Formats: sequence, structure tokens, C-alpha cells
Amino acid sequence: MTSPADADTEVVVAPRPRPRRGVSLGDAGPPIALVVIFAVFSLLSDDFRTLGNVQNIMDAAAVLAVVTCGISFVLMMGSIDLSAPGVMGASAIAVSLLVANNRNDNAYGLLGVLVALLLGSALGCLSGLALVSLKVPSFMTTLGVSAVGLGLATLMFAGVQPNIRDDMLDSWAVQRFLGLAYLTWIAVACVLVGWLIQRYSRLGRYAFAIGGAEEVLALSGVKVAPYKVAVFTLAGTFYGLAGVMVTSQLSAGLVQAGKGYDFAAITAAVVGGTLLTGGRGGILHSAVGVLLVTVLTNGLVQVGVSPYWQGGVQGLIVVAAVAAAVLPQRRRNQVTK
Amino acid sequence: MTTPVLATPAADQAPVSGGPTVGQRLTSFMPVIALVALLAALTFADPDFLTQRSLTAAVRTSAPLAVLAAGATLVVLCGGIDLSIAALCSLSTVLFAMWLPDLGGLTTLVVIGAAGLIGMVQGIGHVVLRIPSFIMTLGGMSIFAAVALVISDAGPIRIVDRDATKWLTLYVGGIVPMSFVVAVIVVAAISLVLKLTPLESFVRATGYSESAARLAGTPVDLVKVAAFTISGACAGLAAVMLVSRNFSGSPTMADNLLLPAVAAIVVGGTAITGGHGSLWRSLAGALVVTLLRVGLPIVGVSSAWEQILYGAIIVAAVALTLDRSKVLIIK
Amino acid sequence: MTAQTQVNALEVNALEVRGLVKHYPGVKALDGVDLVVRQHEVLGLAGENGAGKSTLLKALVGLVRPDAGEIWVRGEKVRLRSVVEAADHGIGMVFQEQSLVPNLTAAENIVLGSEGPGVRRGIYRWDTMRKLAQAQLDKIGSHIDPLARTDTLTFAERQMVEIAKVLRIEERTSHPPVIILDEPTSVLESKEIETLFTQVRRLREFASVVFVSHRLDEVLDVCDRVSVLRGGQSVGEVPTAGAAPAELHRMMIGSTGSDDHYHGNLAERSDEPARPRLVVRGLSGATFRDVDLDVHAGEIVGIVGVHGSGREDVCRALFGAEPTLAGEVTLDGDKLDLSGTRAACAAGIGYVPAERKIEGMVGPMSVADNMTLTKQKSRCSGPLVVPQKQATLVDKWIERLSIRTPHRGTAIQRLSGGNQQKVVLARWLVAGDIRLLLLDHPTRGLDIGARSEVYSLMRELANSGVAAVLLADSLEEAIGMSDRIIVMSDGRATREVACPAGGKPTPLDLVKEMV
Repeated sequence: MTSPADADTEVVVAPRPRPRRGVSLGDAGPPIALVVIFAVFSLLSDDFRTLGNVQNIMDAAAVLAVVTCGISFVLMMGSIDLSAPGVMGASAIAVSLLVANNRNDNAYGLLGVLVALLLGSALGCLSGLALVSLKVPSFMTTLGVSAVGLGLATLMFAGVQPNIRDDMLDSWAVQRFLGLAYLTWIAVACVLVGWLIQRYSRLGRYAFAIGGAEEVLALSGVKVAPYKVAVFTLAGTFYGLAGVMVTSQLSAGLVQAGKGYDFAAITAAVVGGTLLTGGRGGILHSAVGVLLVTVLTNGLVQVGVSPYWQGGVQGLIVVAAVAAAVLPQRRRNQVTK
Repeated sequence: MTTPVLATPAADQAPVSGGPTVGQRLTSFMPVIALVALLAALTFADPDFLTQRSLTAAVRTSAPLAVLAAGATLVVLCGGIDLSIAALCSLSTVLFAMWLPDLGGLTTLVVIGAAGLIGMVQGIGHVVLRIPSFIMTLGGMSIFAAVALVISDAGPIRIVDRDATKWLTLYVGGIVPMSFVVAVIVVAAISLVLKLTPLESFVRATGYSESAARLAGTPVDLVKVAAFTISGACAGLAAVMLVSRNFSGSPTMADNLLLPAVAAIVVGGTAITGGHGSLWRSLAGALVVTLLRVGLPIVGVSSAWEQILYGAIIVAAVALTLDRSKVLIIK
Repeated sequence: MTAQTQVNALEVNALEVRGLVKHYPGVKALDGVDLVVRQHEVLGLAGENGAGKSTLLKALVGLVRPDAGEIWVRGEKVRLRSVVEAADHGIGMVFQEQSLVPNLTAAENIVLGSEGPGVRRGIYRWDTMRKLAQAQLDKIGSHIDPLARTDTLTFAERQMVEIAKVLRIEERTSHPPVIILDEPTSVLESKEIETLFTQVRRLREFASVVFVSHRLDEVLDVCDRVSVLRGGQSVGEVPTAGAAPAELHRMMIGSTGSDDHYHGNLAERSDEPARPRLVVRGLSGATFRDVDLDVHAGEIVGIVGVHGSGREDVCRALFGAEPTLAGEVTLDGDKLDLSGTRAACAAGIGYVPAERKIEGMVGPMSVADNMTLTKQKSRCSGPLVVPQKQATLVDKWIERLSIRTPHRGTAIQRLSGGNQQKVVLARWLVAGDIRLLLLDHPTRGLDIGARSEVYSLMRELANSGVAAVLLADSLEEAIGMSDRIIVMSDGRATREVACPAGGKPTPLDLVKEMV
């Protein structure tokens, strides 16, 4: 059984009172932390509490939010995914070579974006297939697939950086609607879609259940392998989209488009309340986590901390968050790998 | 039923059948087979490859990778993984470059000691906080990278005084690079200590079955912390080797060594599930990976394929060496 | 269903098992079991640990493939290869270890794997799903909210969810299903048990029930008939009307009572030492409270108790493998450090875990390395391992315990269970400094020959002055081996029963104390 603090509020729409297990602090924690951190930075920095900066934060969170959407499903199953950098790199180069660019005469527009997404799906599918058919743990398969993605990107890159000249893709990063960049709205849409998948699709619910008790699913006659592959494919698609978004921001395709996003996304998901052992958390949790990480990064820069610390801060919070989640449940003779 | 005396045992049960499977036999020779096959293929593609000069160069390139992989192998043998080695190595190159003007000849030892200490902190975090080694070292990786960026101001630091690392650039007998000799000595020394003391039993028992090891009273936690410490110290030594070659320290110098190092470990045949494997295997694995790296351009394959090959090799090698009886549900 | 079997639906047995056989390496778990479950009856299944109950149940739901024998469902011979196939034939089981996904809602768990109209094209229709689940819960008159998360429910409520889930197999067949309840009462409180029994009686209206419990009074209370298993064989059936627990128990134990076990403590022992070797006072932990225990040198003290009595945890706590909350333990007058297994080993305590393959031995390592794993000093000179010293020592113990292994370098996982267990035991003996042995089901999974060897070894150790705590596999084993027996119930040591060579209690005496 998981800890009492696991309750997942979206799932239980029951009128039934549930005081028996206590108020679920695990769910309330991240939003409260977000508010507190926001308040603290607002006090510390004049620049932080401007509307423009809030827009900046939202825009800066967009790509990370999409990557985190993908990784959340994988983490929900209790697996892990390190393939984001490779998949994003491959999709970034692919899309920049398919839309109008300085390297060739292609100008497929939205179709090019679609192909980049499919490339992401394919790479994600590869991770999943290696996991279920070769029985290699996901952190190894996705590490391998990340390398494959980076290799593909390097092959397509071929030494000359593709700069995009596609108006649509360029506009995504520049044009604003209701004060937020199109990219940010895409991220919001992704979170919404992710939440719907998690809440209303068999895929999402089974991903959740696989993290909860995989053996029970098998006992109930559910074949879990296809769902695992599907979840990794879904995650790959999200990474593919994130690669396209980075390309839009930079107006160029970079092999390194996804550098560091794997770890940042794991950090965001974990901070949002997703347990690495699976079966707990969700897209909305992760969205809060993304905002937390982004606000923290932005705030630290605003108060004058070197941006180079960004990764270090993420490293610290991920270790702290995992330790906080693991410590209450620890037993003697527990095997920790 | 009457009391049987100890000397008259009951009829024996059928023992659990089976020696090593074909897969196990194959993987036990995997690094050697791969090495020979690669050498043959490269010689076939370019008959000039099998010269003393290019072999010396390849062996020299492999030294930092071999040291890095050997250290992390200890952690893998204990059943964990250390993903922070490359970042820690980069950080150590920066520390070396920064401390050299003050410490002079002592810098090498101090850097190795500091890296070992940092590794130990990760090990303690893993053991005391019960954070999975994978996430602990992933966190460590990003912290070390950040520290390296900040203290170096994100740029390379040139080394003026090259005497401190000159010894590593020498050649033993004019042929064998000193850095490779050092790598072999490190692997031999650690292996020997393991072999001659109860440590090998402790490490393997921890890796094969942590709970059984604990209930047999072996010092599981100490062994794990020690493994992380040595892994860190090896990253420090690898950093000194890199500095001796590049005459500078840089916050991202070793970052691209993580994948090759993991590949070297698994290609060597060390099981990612723990217990089975050795440091010698990782040394051979490092040679395989290095040959692949220098060999691809020779056979006319773009170096971009290198990454793809690493990916494929890691997955394939892990699939071959994984002890599936241990993990019923693969996450 | 073929035509001829439809002659008279009520006369056809709901489930019939004929001559079922299942071998495990070294053990015959099922040795020609016959079982008949009639329609609309509650059949009790009784038997000691190791009688073959769980293997039989697993065979009935397709989790174990029998080596020989037949299973007939309503006059039709069937082969069951998975839980799903068993469900297709109308057989479902409520598992002892609950089989619910904790982070899904009760409704999802009830329909899991056969959502039907609850999911259309991969999209959940929560309302339909809730109605489907509600219909199942209504069948058993439960008022659980279908949309409550399963891990927010009490154990008893979760059991209701399981029963509701199992009843889904009604949708798969047009016949009354067979519902197997495996030890459903073991973790329930008495009020909850009453509710469960009401449910079981209600189930009889539209299903056949197989009820498995180690509490004989419950079996007699709720069942129409009881079938008794012993040593993998059916030994008889009793109608419950008018039957007494004692009668059933006699059938479970059979004529091969404690006599079959090793009574070696006939050897003359010197006067009991003034002070016990192990003194435990007020030991409390998560699952046990205020346990007092004395063990003298040369004495074997058995601890008996039903599942959940906390005796395993007491044993592990003494070895430092389970945290304690209060209490004091002394060994030969010295206060014992319970903070970890290392301290216990250093104090001369040895532990033989019940899960030999997972916790007892390091499978891929050699016999020699397993044997010297704990007492490293015995094979070292200073910090260095001396292979010759290890070889001599290990070979000596291989011979003394007649461990059958091709070589001391053979991986221990290639030995038979009995020989593995002897290596695990030898681990504590090689240094000759063992003072207290904690034996947690030391004969589990061993055949009779290997068992008696382990018995002899235990007795020999006791005679040489080692104190031992034994958690036996069966009551007979506990009675046969122990000098004294402590009865534990609900985490407390409730009684102490003397168990001298001449005046052994009967298992029945102990059962009275246990429940």
C-alpha cells in the first residue's frame, strides 16, 4: 500500500468524506510552496513582481511543461525516461530541415512539424519496445535511445546549422495572444490534453495502475506490455513537439536543443509530487512542479544569482524531494539500488 | 522415523539443473571477442591501422575512459549506478587548473582526494537517505556541472605550469603511454585488493542479493559508500589525465565521456543488476569503445554514427548480461 | 456445455478435481488430490501448512499447471492456463494477499481487465463504470462508494471490493460461479468476520464457495462440508453438522503426529544454568508488544502462533533486522545492541531466514564463499584471505554436515534445498562462537530426508550448548523439537508450555492457546 498522503484529488470526486487518512498534505505541498516562493521573490526583487516578468516566467516554462507532460506518464508507471535530449535534438533538426530553411528548398510547414512529432513517437516507441521485449530497464534503454537520437540529429545536421525561414514557426515564439506567446498556449494545450489522457483514457489510467501494482494487472488478465510501449511512444511525441518548440524559439535547428531537459523535467515532476516508484502524481502535479522550477530559476536570477547555478539548484531540489518522499517509508533491510 | 545420524544422509534431491547458459558463456568472453573482431575489421579496412603508432595513440586515448569506467564498475558491482562520473571529472579538471598554481606537485593527489570525498558524500546520501543511486548521482551530475560552471566562469582555464602533469605524457619503453600504464595499475590494484581481502565477497554479495548480504552481517552500507568514494577518486584521476593532454581545465571537458564509460562497463560484460563482472572487463570494454571511436572514420563511417552505435551497444550489451531471474518486473 | 451434462443441472458438481498431482523440486506438493464442490454449497478446505492447500487453489485458478490429474467444471473437463481462462469457466479467487491496485478507484478495480461498456474506444466513461461497479457491490449489499480510491478503504472494505470483483465472472458464464476465498479472515476483526460470514452465506444463493481458513471453528461455522488435505492428499470429507474442531484437527494431523518428528532431547542435560543465556524483557515493536522470553544455553524454545501473531518479527528484531520501540535484551548478561545485524552477528547470534533463496543465501556465489560470508576472520590471516585456510575449513564442514555438493566452489544455487540450508546453517558455525541461533522456518520447502537431517543438526547444536529459538513449520515440528514452547497471539506472548522429552503436549493443546 502506498502512503496515506497519496490521495489523488482529481480521481476521487466522491461526495464521501475521507478524513480517515488525514488531509493529504502531499497534494497541497507543491502549490503552497509555489505561492510561498513567489511571495518571497516578490519581496526580494522589484523586477520579479512585474507583469512582464510573470509573462517571461510563463513563456520560459513552455518547453519544460511539454517535456514534463511526456515524462510524467513514464514516471507514473514507475519507469524513467532519459531520452528527451536525444529525441528533442532529432526532432529539432528534422523540423528545421523540413520547413523553409537555408539548407534546402523544403517548405512543408505544418506537415514538417507533424513529421518531427512522428520521429519523436518512433524514438519513444523504440525505448518502449526495448524495455518490454529485451527486458532492459528503462533508464538504460532510454539512455541508449537518447544517444541514437543525438546521432540521428548529428547525421542530419551535417556540419551546417539549419536556420529556419518559416513564418508560422517563427511566429509561434514571437506572436502573443492574451499576453502569452503562442508557444505558451501550445504548452497549456499539452497540459490539458495530458490531463484528459490521464483522467479519461484507458492508456492513462493503466499507466497509473502499472505504477501502483503491475502484477495485479497481469493477474486480472491485462497485458501490460502494449500499454508500456504506448506510454513511451506518447512521451516521445511530447518530446518531439518540445524539440519543434525550441527550434521555433531559436529560429534554428540545434543538435543540443534538448540538453538538460531530461533532468529538468524529472525535477519538475518529482517536485510536483510524482513518486519515482510510480503510481502517484499526475499531469497537474507536474504542471505545478514546472512552474515551481521555473519561478525558482527566474527568481534566483532576478535576485542576482549566477544563471550557471540553475542545474545545481535543480539537482539539490530533486535529491531533497526524493529524500523527503522516501524517508517516511523507509524500513530496515530495505534494498535501495 | 528414527534419528538419522549425520553421516548417513537421505537420498539426494535433484540439484537445480544447469551450468552457465550459452548467453552467459558468450558474455563472459564478450569484451575479448569484440576487441579481436574490431581489430580484425579495422585492419581489413585499413591495413595501415595495425601499426605501433596508431595502436599507441588509441591506447593513450582510452586511458581516462578506462579509469572512469573502472571506478564506476565498483558501484555497478554493488548493484547501483554512478551517472555523475563524467560531470565530476569535468569539475575535477577545473579544480586541478585552479589549484595548480598554489599547490604545485601536490595538486594531483589533492584533486583525486577531493573527488573521492565528493563521491563519498554521494554514497552517504544514497545509503543514509535511501535515495536510489541512479537519482542521487543524476542530481550530483547536475550539481557538479553547475559548480564547475560557476567557479570557472564557464570557460576553460589554461595551465601554464605543465611540469605537474608531464609524467603522464611520458611513454614506458618509448611505446606504452604512461597514462595507460597508470590505468592498468589502478585496475590491477583495486582488483588485487578485492581478491585478497573479504571485500570481494562483500561487494558481490551486496550486488547479487542485498538483503541476504545484510542478514549475513556483511557491512553493506560501508561497502557501498566505499564504492562511491573510489568511483569519485577515479573520476579525479581521469581528470588529471585529461588535463595532462589538453593543458587546460574546462567545466564540460569530460561530459561526453559518460555514455562511452557506461558502454565500456556493459560491453565488458558486467551485469547492470550487480554482482557479476570485474574491473578488468571494463578495461577491455574501454578499449573496445575507444577502437570503435577511432576506427569509424577509418572505415569511412561518419562520426555521427558513433552516438547511434553507443546507444545500440548499451541496450544490446545490457540485454545480454542482465540477470533476469533477479528482477521480476522491469521498470 | 455438452448436451449430456445438462440432464439435471443440480446433480452436476460445480467443480470436481480428480487425482491432481504437482511436483516441485524435491517436494510433492499435490499427490493425487480429489475434491468435489457441489452447486450452492460452501465447502471448507482445511489442512496444515504444507498440506498442499495453496498449490491446489493456484491450480484451480490457472496459476499452477498440474503435472497430472483432471479438473472438471460442471461435468466438463477443462484445462486452466491462466486466471482469465479460469474466470471464463466461472472460477474466481479472492487472494489472501489482496489483488487490488491501490491507486485506482474501487470501480476500476472491480471491472479491471473486463471493462465492457465502461470503456469505449479506449476512453473511460466514468458514469457507466460507476454503475457497473455499483451493480456488483449491490449484489453483496455493500455500501462502499465505487469512486473511492482503493487505498482509502479499510481492509474489510477492500475485501468486499475483491468479492465484488470476483463476482464479475458471472458476466462471463451463464452458470453459477465458483468463488474461492483464501484465508479471508486472517486480518479481520471479529465484527468484520461476522459481516464476511453473512456475505458468504449470501453468496451461496447464487454461487458455490470454497472457504479456506486455518481457524477450524470458523470453517465449521460457515461451511456445509469440510474437505481435509494432508501431505498433498485428500484424507476425507466431513459434514460440518455436529463435527467438532478436535475431530477435524485429528484428520489434519493424522496418525503421523509428533512421533514423526525428531525428539532428540532425550540426552541427559546437566542442571539448568542459573541464568538464562538470552533474556528478553518487554520487547515491543510495530507488530508485537511486551514480549518476555528466556532461553537457556542448550535449550530449544519454540514460538508458535497463527499468521499475524508477530513471532517472525520478534525473531528478526532479536537479530537487529527489525526496529524495536522498547524493551531490553541481554545475552549472557550483556546488554544486546539491537540497532543492526552487524552487532547481532558480532555478539554471537545467528539467523536462518525463512526466505532462504532471497534472504538466506547469495545464489550465484560459491558454497565456500557463502559459508564464510559472515565469519570472514575464519578464512583470513590479518586482512588477507588465505584460500588454503578457507578450503580446509569449508571442506571440514561439508564433510561434518554431509553437504552434497560437487565442489566447494560450486554456486550454492545449484545445490538442492536441504544442502543449501545446511550451508546457511554452517555459516554460523564455522567460527565456533555461536551462542544463540534464531531459526525462522528452517525446514520450509525441504523434503522429509533433508528435514530430519536439519533436525539432527539442530539437536546436536543444542546439546553442544547453543541456545536456539525455533519458528517451526508445523505444530508437530515445534513440539518435537522444542524443550519449551511460547505461544504468541496478536503480538503478545500469551502462554508458555513446557515440552519435556517425556511429556509432550498435543498439537490440540497448543491450538487452544493460539486462537
